[in-house]
Amino acid sequence: MALATRPGVLRRVGGLRHTSPGRLQLFIATLLALGVLAGVFAGFTGSSAGSGTSDLGNRAQPLLVEAETVYTALADADTTAAQAFLAGGLEPSALTRRYDDDLRRAATALTSAARRTSQTGEAADAVRALSSGIAEYSALVATARANNRQGLPVGASFLSEASRLNRDTLQPQARQLFEEAQREVDDGYGRAGSVGWVALLMLSLLALLITLVAAQVYLSRRTQRTFNVPLLAATGVALVFTIAAMSILFTQQARLDSTANRGTGPMASIAAARILALQARGDEALTLAGRAGSGPYEQDFDTVSERLLMPRGPMDNAYEDLDPQLGATMNRALSGFQSYVEAHGEVRALDEGGNYEGAVKLAIGAETTKTFESVRTELDRAMENRKTFFTEEIDDAGDGLGLLTVGGPVLAVIICVLAFLGLRARLEEYR
Amino acid sequence: MRIRAAVALLAVAALAGCSADSSPMPIAKPFTTTLGPSPATTERPAPPKCDPRASLAPAGALPPPGKMPAGSYMETIQKRGRLVLGTSQDTLLFSSRNPFNGQIEGFDVDMGRQIAQAIFGDPGKIQIKVIGYDKRVSSAADGSVDIVADTMTANCERWVDVDFSTIYYEAGQKVLVSKNSTAKTIEDLGGKRICSVQGSTSFDRIATVKAKPVAVARAAFGDCLVAFQRNEVDAITTDDTILAGMAVQDPYAKVIGDKISEEPYAMAMSNEHPEFTRFVNAVLERNRADGTWKKTYEKWLSALGPAPTPPKAKYR
Repeated sequence: MALATRPGVLRRVGGLRHTSPGRLQLFIATLLALGVLAGVFAGFTGSSAGSGTSDLGNRAQPLLVEAETVYTALADADTTAAQAFLAGGLEPSALTRRYDDDLRRAATALTSAARRTSQTGEAADAVRALSSGIAEYSALVATARANNRQGLPVGASFLSEASRLNRDTLQPQARQLFEEAQREVDDGYGRAGSVGWVALLMLSLLALLITLVAAQVYLSRRTQRTFNVPLLAATGVALVFTIAAMSILFTQQARLDSTANRGTGPMASIAAARILALQARGDEALTLAGRAGSGPYEQDFDTVSERLLMPRGPMDNAYEDLDPQLGATMNRALSGFQSYVEAHGEVRALDEGGNYEGAVKLAIGAETTKTFESVRTELDRAMENRKTFFTEEIDDAGDGLGLLTVGGPVLAVIICVLAFLGLRARLEEYR
Repeated sequence: MRIRAAVALLAVAALAGCSADSSPMPIAKPFTTTLGPSPATTERPAPPKCDPRASLAPAGALPPPGKMPAGSYMETIQKRGRLVLGTSQDTLLFSSRNPFNGQIEGFDVDMGRQIAQAIFGDPGKIQIKVIGYDKRVSSAADGSVDIVADTMTANCERWVDVDFSTIYYEAGQKVLVSKNSTAKTIEDLGGKRICSVQGSTSFDRIATVKAKPVAVARAAFGDCLVAFQRNEVDAITTDDTILAGMAVQDPYAKVIGDKISEEPYAMAMSNEHPEFTRFVNAVLERNRADGTWKKTYEKWLSALGPAPTPPKAKYR
């Protein structure tokens, strides 16, 4: 039956274009269809880009920040534990506090990260592995402390077991989480852009405008009236619709580009600088704790510091182009790290020259610690600067998308009504 | 856009670097765990038959401290201003880090200090370098340390690469198990996991136990004790001396059985300057005679029982 009817319907619709009322009916149908499509696409574009943008701002980007926090907190905990070991005797209370604070930060960031990852996938696996790993790590360090408190050398062995777990298992997992978060941010930019929906919306609006113009040209040729007022109004509304949609979407794209290039990009770079700086500091402490002279950790220090000091690297980059204040902060971080590398050179010279005690004293002494802490403080400040920038930009990027979601369909309905009114009046004349 | 792309790449490269470079520690030694029968050291041809206890005879009287003979290796050390001693930092009683002050101390360290005393007249002119158990022979052979005193057994295989001093301590391999274990000897530990250190003679000997225990390798004996306390292994086997240091730290551990091997300890040096070996032997000879050896024993090893007579020097 359906097979028999379909060619019949097609033939009837095809037959319409041979008569004037038929053509008018075709115009009505096409305009209504295009109007409905434009409205639907506007709704989808607005809601998809809106939810993509808010997902980027509220989930993917915070996940990246949290993954970085887990990573740096773990690296810092390892460095702190090694420094406390070097200090000998009871742990200096400042180091104990910092270590506890590191573990707390890692655990807190991990809890939030767990909320922001889906149930399955690599990120979720990394979060799960990290949760149990951090518990094991803190148990090992607690045992090391208890033994150290009793003056038993096995405490040092527990500490080295903990350090191995941290460096060989936990940090690689944190890095995996960080990389996964970076991928999610990239995907987030894709979703926030909603290129597919934007293209469909623009195409449907273009088709709607062309059909409206074509309908009016047809009518002014067929009738004495040059202008059909409702159709003219519909065209006006469609033009307003198109211009508003374009400006909302272009603004959003521009804001997204800006958050990507001036927010997320520099943040990843500052994060890398922070991780590398901590890694260098950890290498120094571990070289001294190993007490075996310059070894693989010292080589790692050289690689890491070279990477950090490299022009156009994570520290020495065109940050002042983004924000003069950020540029100044990063310059201070850079020169701070340079003086730290100099101090490290002295530490190594002392150790290689047989003055181990002097090397340890210099490495964990007040002056070197102050130099390194200044680097860390400046990098933290730089990170905050970009976080603030990102949050502001991403909020602005979401502006107007709600309006598009609601206003688009409303305008489309108005266009449909006007087009229908304008053409029905002409169609009536044939009855 | 340019910054973002460049930076993302960089971050990934940098982070990838982190893990590639990281290796175990804080106590810088390579870390390996192997399960199953321990690898027999069959890569090298069997060493020539020798008497591992026989070393080079001292050449006359000791030169006075600070006046080392010209052209001798002792003079090189004297000019440098310190003796570089290779040892470990987690073998309680022999060479371990005192957690209270961070100093490395013990019987082995004092052996090194006595050599420094003989060269400089000052036992403090010593630089302690921690070396892995599997690096003891190579560190002495390539001169990265002047002398190794690290619970090191003199055997013919090692004599090929380094010179040993005369024996300064007679140890023997035993087994440490938990207090509630019913095992009486290592042969009662069939199928159990026994920890020892890669590169030590005791590790290789696990493979020769008839009951076929599972050998577990760690980088240092401290790591074996950690594994034991975490129930990752059922027993630890190595020299009675080292086990005694562990039992001191863990009241739930006991050392069982008779010595299943003889482990004569000697200091290792490069064989490129035999005059240094002769010098070290002269120092040992003097310290055996004047009671220094006994005093050192009583200072560190009284947990092992009253001081025996020092091992007799044997020369070639």
